Amino acid sequence: MRLHVHHSTTYSYAEPARRVIQLLRVTPSSFVGQSVFDWRIDVDCDAKLRERRDGYGNVIHMLYVDSPTPSLSITIAGRVLTEDRAGVVQGLPHELPPAVFARATELTAAGRAIAPFAADLARPGRPALDRLHALAQRLHDDLRFDTEATAVETTAEQACAAGHGVCQDYAHIFIAACREAGMPARYVSGQLFRRDGAHIQEAAHAWAEAWVEDLGWVAFDPLNGISTDDAYIRVACGLDYRDAAPIVGARSGGGSEELTVQVRVSELAGQAQAQSQS
Amino acid sequence: MLSRTAANLYWIGRYMERAEFTSRLVEATIRLNALGDHAEADQSWRSALSVVGADQAFDATGESVGSLNARRHLTLSEANPSSIRSCLSQARDSARAARTALTVELWEAINRAWLTIRDRTSPGGAQATLNLVDSVKAEIRGFEGGLGRMLRSEGCWFLHLGSVIERGDSIARLLDVKYYLLLPPGQEVGGKLDRDQWMTLLQIVSARTAYRHLYGGALQPWLVADFLILRSEMPRSLIASAEETVALLSSFAARSGRQGQADRLARARLDRMQDLDIEAVVQEGLHEWLHAYLRENAAIDQAIAQQFRFG
Repeated sequence: MRLHVHHSTTYSYAEPARRVIQLLRVTPSSFVGQSVFDWRIDVDCDAKLRERRDGYGNVIHMLYVDSPTPSLSITIAGRVLTEDRAGVVQGLPHELPPAVFARATELTAAGRAIAPFAADLARPGRPALDRLHALAQRLHDDLRFDTEATAVETTAEQACAAGHGVCQDYAHIFIAACREAGMPARYVSGQLFRRDGAHIQEAAHAWAEAWVEDLGWVAFDPLNGISTDDAYIRVACGLDYRDAAPIVGARSGGGSEELTVQVRVSELAGQAQAQSQS
Repeated sequence: MLSRTAANLYWIGRYMERAEFTSRLVEATIRLNALGDHAEADQSWRSALSVVGADQAFDATGESVGSLNARRHLTLSEANPSSIRSCLSQARDSARAARTALTVELWEAINRAWLTIRDRTSPGGAQATLNLVDSVKAEIRGFEGGLGRMLRSEGCWFLHLGSVIERGDSIARLLDVKYYLLLPPGQEVGGKLDRDQWMTLLQIVSARTAYRHLYGGALQPWLVADFLILRSEMPRSLIASAEETVALLSSFAARSGRQGQADRLARARLDRMQDLDIEAVVQEGLHEWLHAYLRENAAIDQAIAQQFRFG
């Protein structure tokens, strides 16, 4: 599927911010099943943008704004070709050994609420892949999607005990259960094309990848209870949300801020016809 | 577009690039020999022949490696598939077969290049050969200019793809020959001949001034290797070819919505090269590294042929 992504993040400050520094993990890499044709980051004021790669292999940009600005808008636009590979992630540049993703973090520590999920996952008998699918399906069935109930610092255990959350909480719970059951798992942030027609969204998406012997990394979206397909654009990964959040930053001055995020992921159309004429 | 047409366009790109490369190789070798004595001249023609893989075909003719024979073999011989005449002849044949997919400008440029060499029976003296390769080079620049004005669609991409794949191949072979074959026994590394040869190598890829601009100072072999392998600002470097290959294949994928093995191989190659520095290459062994590169380039060429069903 050819997807077009337009993701804008706008900060409005109560008074002009003196300096702003931000870390952007917003640039996807190409791998088997995902080709990035073009990708661009636009900032609406004079800024320095430095590109490098972090330890997880994500392409990151450091954004520095040195002059006072009343608002800051970061727009990411790009075109990507995706294929449905049933969630199997292969051919990523700069892979770390899977054991790196076996340890729990503060956000993904498993407690009493997650223990039953982990116990089910660890129960032998069925192949690991089936058990992971069952876990994703169960989280999809048991938890309730609620954008008001949790915040960025909510841990997997808290969200699981409360029984609701957003994509990030679903992914954290999934990861916590995997790691508790001895399977390496990691957090993935990215963009989702909504087949139901809701092309304009208020936030980007997040899901999880689990390491399956003989198959490699397999991505699951517990919010939707499925493995990822060609509607998913994989952008960054890490141990948990803190390692893979799209934009984190600091500023001096500026008072209170107001944040607006708008994400539009749509299917590129019209070119297939042009091709048949050539 | 018919895959037959696509294959023809791809091969026009490859042959024109190869003709240009051979022209530059001949020119640079003549200029190199003008600096040295006669015994070295045979040696440098031998290495020029092995850069384009024509040394065995040359030996088969039974001629001695004199300047005239080698020049004829590289420019006019029909027995040598990578001579300038063979390349231009094949490019023109492909162009006739894919005439409707080419612009008038491109067709004329290819045809004119062919006409400059069609009726030549002898390369003549050194100066006459220089004049010949100069006019071939000028016509090929006309071809490249025509390419820049072509509609940016599949046809144009296939022509470009052919030339970047060919370019990667010839630059890798050029470097390999310089490192392992060129210096005759008894000549010291870093000596006068060695330095002249490095200078010649830069001249072949039209990068003498560019090298000075980037690195300054005296010629250092590993810096030349860095320049020709890993500097993407150098348009004929291996990494620039790798980048262009990825970009061109992406253009196809963006248009058709499909991608395949060639995209994956080309991306994997670029990812690996972007993380490389020249010390790592030299430690692994430049010769081994270049050979691995040549194999990979050939695999990408194969994958392209398969993906677009060149047949």
